[in-house]
Amino acid sequence: MSRSYHTLIASLPPLPKHFDVERVPISAPRLEERLKMLAEEDAQVVRQWTGFLNWDRQVLDRTDEDVAKGYHEMMARISNETLREMIEFRMDTRTIIAAVRRRRAGLPPPTGVGQWVEQIRGNYDHPEFRLQGRFGWIGKLDQALQSGEAMVAQRLLFEANYRNWARMAERFTFSFEAVLLYLARWEIIDRWTSRNESAGKLRFETMITETLGEYAHLFK
Amino acid sequence: MDGVLILLGWIGLFAPTALGAIGSIVGCARAGQAACGAMLDVESGYGRFVGLSALPSSQIIYGIVVMFSLQRTISADNGPGLFGIGVLCGLALMFSAMFQGACCASAINVSKHKPEIFGLSVAPAAIVEGFAVFAFIFALVLSGNIPA
Repeated sequence: MSRSYHTLIASLPPLPKHFDVERVPISAPRLEERLKMLAEEDAQVVRQWTGFLNWDRQVLDRTDEDVAKGYHEMMARISNETLREMIEFRMDTRTIIAAVRRRRAGLPPPTGVGQWVEQIRGNYDHPEFRLQGRFGWIGKLDQALQSGEAMVAQRLLFEANYRNWARMAERFTFSFEAVLLYLARWEIIDRWTSRNESAGKLRFETMITETLGEYAHLFK
Repeated sequence: MDGVLILLGWIGLFAPTALGAIGSIVGCARAGQAACGAMLDVESGYGRFVGLSALPSSQIIYGIVVMFSLQRTISADNGPGLFGIGVLCGLALMFSAMFQGACCASAINVSKHKPEIFGLSVAPAAIVEGFAVFAFIFALVLSGNIPA
């Protein structure tokens, strides 16, 4: 008999239709508390997903090759089909973003990972790598980067991811996959709502520390 | 051969109760779990969640009534008839209770933050109940044609 997730799913507040809200529907500590209802095997998969999300915000000195290697190592450890699909989608998105940025900087296509690497290499001169049917936001992202509108670019990517997770979530109701997709959307809302001054400052300080190492605190 | 037919008769006699009970157990458990979860997320309206989660219990009652209507001295003549009506009615009751539980769980989940749709969200569960009632009524009607 399959495991039941009725109590957990019903204990989570509904997520909004759009991610750009003022605050998260459930705070991180409370969400963590609710996730304790999961069996150990499922909690392990959730840890893999949150681990990926942390890994996704990579440190600056990591090369494309390092990312590709880390990705393949991680995928070898994950057996849950929905989680694999979610990670693949996220990495596809990252590969496309990297390609758009590198092309703008006059560099060759990125090493990248995922199913669209060859498509991007073969259509590097096309404004949208001939992927506009599947990723309608590539042209708009390119324009936003060109005009230096970082927030517009960020919003576009959040919107695309959020819409994809919401579409996937329609296939599941009271299942573990529904929990994973809830967490995926919650994470986007969390990132959006925490884009404030203090979070930006913290991120900046982290980048400085990563870049300068022990010299970061030289004048403190 | 007569022994097999009598055995089938006994299975048919108890099937509506047993299968109805299995369905009610699963249905009420699913809806009840959703009700418990919803209680963590909202500050009021607990009573209606618990009340709704008990909806799939009606199938066991229908099953008991059908069992009594089928009850008679079992013989090789009426064994196959009891088996056919009892098992098929029991299966209908079991599945209706299980899926009604899923409908109730969904109704609880969607209406906890939108109380105004509570009545409408119960409609799918009520429709499923209607099919269980069909199986119940016509099992009663047909049981009158089985030889005593």
